[in-house]
Amino acid sequence: MPALLRLHRLKLLALTLVANLALLLHLAAGDLKAPAEWVWLDILGEGGSALLALVWLCLILKSRPAGRVTNLLTLGLGLVFFSWWVDSLDEFIRMPEAIGWDHWLESAPMPFGLLLLTYGLYHWHHEQLAISAQMEKRERLFREHLLFDKLTPLAGADYLRRQLQLSLQESRREQVPLSLVAVDLDDFDAINQRYGHAEGDAVLQAVTQVLLLNLRRQDLLCRLAGDRFVVLLPATGEAQARQLASELAEAVRSLAHKSRQHGERLPLKASVATAMALDEDAEALLQRLNLALARAKQPLALSA
Amino acid sequence: MSGSWFERDTRCIAAHGQPAALIDLCLQRGINSHRLLRGTGLFHEDVLRGDTLVSPEQFFQLIDNARQLLDADDSAFLFGQRLLPGPLGAASQALSLAANLQQALELLVELRTLLFPLLSPRLLLDEQHAYLHWQDNCGAGHQFRFLVEAAMAAVIAMSRRLGGERLPWQIHLRHARPRYIEQYWVHLGEDLHFASPYDLMRLPRACLTRPWPQSAPTAALVAGQQARAELQRLPATHSLLDALYRWLLDHARQAPGLEHAADAFGMSPATFKRKLKKHDTCYQEQHDQARLHLALYLYQIKGYSNDEVAAYLRFHDATNFRRSFKRWTGLAPSALLLAMRGR
Repeated sequence: MPALLRLHRLKLLALTLVANLALLLHLAAGDLKAPAEWVWLDILGEGGSALLALVWLCLILKSRPAGRVTNLLTLGLGLVFFSWWVDSLDEFIRMPEAIGWDHWLESAPMPFGLLLLTYGLYHWHHEQLAISAQMEKRERLFREHLLFDKLTPLAGADYLRRQLQLSLQESRREQVPLSLVAVDLDDFDAINQRYGHAEGDAVLQAVTQVLLLNLRRQDLLCRLAGDRFVVLLPATGEAQARQLASELAEAVRSLAHKSRQHGERLPLKASVATAMALDEDAEALLQRLNLALARAKQPLALSA
Repeated sequence: MSGSWFERDTRCIAAHGQPAALIDLCLQRGINSHRLLRGTGLFHEDVLRGDTLVSPEQFFQLIDNARQLLDADDSAFLFGQRLLPGPLGAASQALSLAANLQQALELLVELRTLLFPLLSPRLLLDEQHAYLHWQDNCGAGHQFRFLVEAAMAAVIAMSRRLGGERLPWQIHLRHARPRYIEQYWVHLGEDLHFASPYDLMRLPRACLTRPWPQSAPTAALVAGQQARAELQRLPATHSLLDALYRWLLDHARQAPGLEHAADAFGMSPATFKRKLKKHDTCYQEQHDQARLHLALYLYQIKGYSNDEVAAYLRFHDATNFRRSFKRWTGLAPSALLLAMRGR
């Protein structure tokens, strides 16, 4: 069982129990219909609805940690499922006319379920706003989870390209400058070699947090590749970008990251470079930024 | 020369070498080891035993699984960075104690089956430059790009690690400029040339001979001897395609046909054809490739003219040669050389 579903074992158990109880009650009170009496269209419609409600429930449980909103959604969808489940039971079991509780069992849970579901969705919306606020500086107006980086909580190069294209158009339209800053860790390979690749990954995650703390609300931080980050700075000129870049370099230098194994401090240093958008496309701008960074890094052993 | 090579299905790669590096990378990214090893015929316990050999075929399957499960643009580069000098006992030690980059690259070429079993590196020198040329070895097919990215990242990371400085590598690659160009910038540098006729790394010669800080000449010699002994203990020291390539270069002046080559390798033409097909290639392709490389070598390093190259390769005339050259590369010799020089 996947880890998240395990959190909700009790809820699933309760639902199974209640559904079985309803089945037993029906079996005790009514008679089975012969297969010739089955109405396939109703079975498909009502049974299919019950099945889908169950799938939604599992998807929700699987994708959410436990909590108030999850409980509301579960209870709501659980009642909806139950209602459809009982509805499909009478396709197979004929109930005597004298009995009225089966109609109650079928119809009563549905409105309550829908009300709870609505209430849950409303709170989900608020929860999502809170999470979006936490995503500030890491995404801009557009979400695509396929473009998220697998290591750091940042978007990757493809997301950056897409955002850069949009921002370039915007800056041209509104006649405001747009700048990029590249931040590249020095001797990152030495950290991997000396402390292990897991430590290198931890350093990248720590640096990500430090960079985020040093940015403005409207800036966007992406991980370009490896140990190289790029910040998109809307409405920012070259001088201001340089200022921000040196602040970022300073922040990385004073980050006292401790190794996970022995807790000693790893000395970190970053090279930075800036590029202000001229009349060029996203790809050319990125390329220019990287050339500037190559020049800013320690000089090559021999110029080619 | 019969039987002295390995093929796609020969078990000749130490599982605790490159395959283990790839497995570690995947495990660190939280990938399930059973899914990773599915279809490879390999168990994690085999790798841990330390004496298991795997075939190129099994390794290709592992790479295929790893690429799908990692599903990231930087997989090849991260894998490559972990490879050299590597954990391969004497061979790795000889590399890390080498006197300079040139010695390390010469060792890499000599011990390639231990250090980089799926590709063949070749080192060429002229007055100004050193060229490290990478070539398919076992019919990598669509895995070739992954391997060549890893190989180049490995050499660049090694030269930086052991030499302590960034070197001005120039990179030539046969494939077109990829979407994820930023990975190349970060891991291979900015001097990149795509759609080239070969997969090659170029460096000013002076960078090769600068002494490395931690070199230990005597210990390096001893480690080198031990590594050579290990190499001899493998089922073979080089692959079938590797052997054929070298035979073709040696016999290029005779423009040998398939029968001639099959005879030299001690098998019937039909068997020879079948073996090449197993490696995802055919005789004509291998023959053309060797002649192209030789032609480029004569142009660029020996400074031959069109007529001289055509005569050397036994073409009837320069026109005929130019036509063939265009078929191999898509460009006439003059255009290609101009394009490469202009870069």
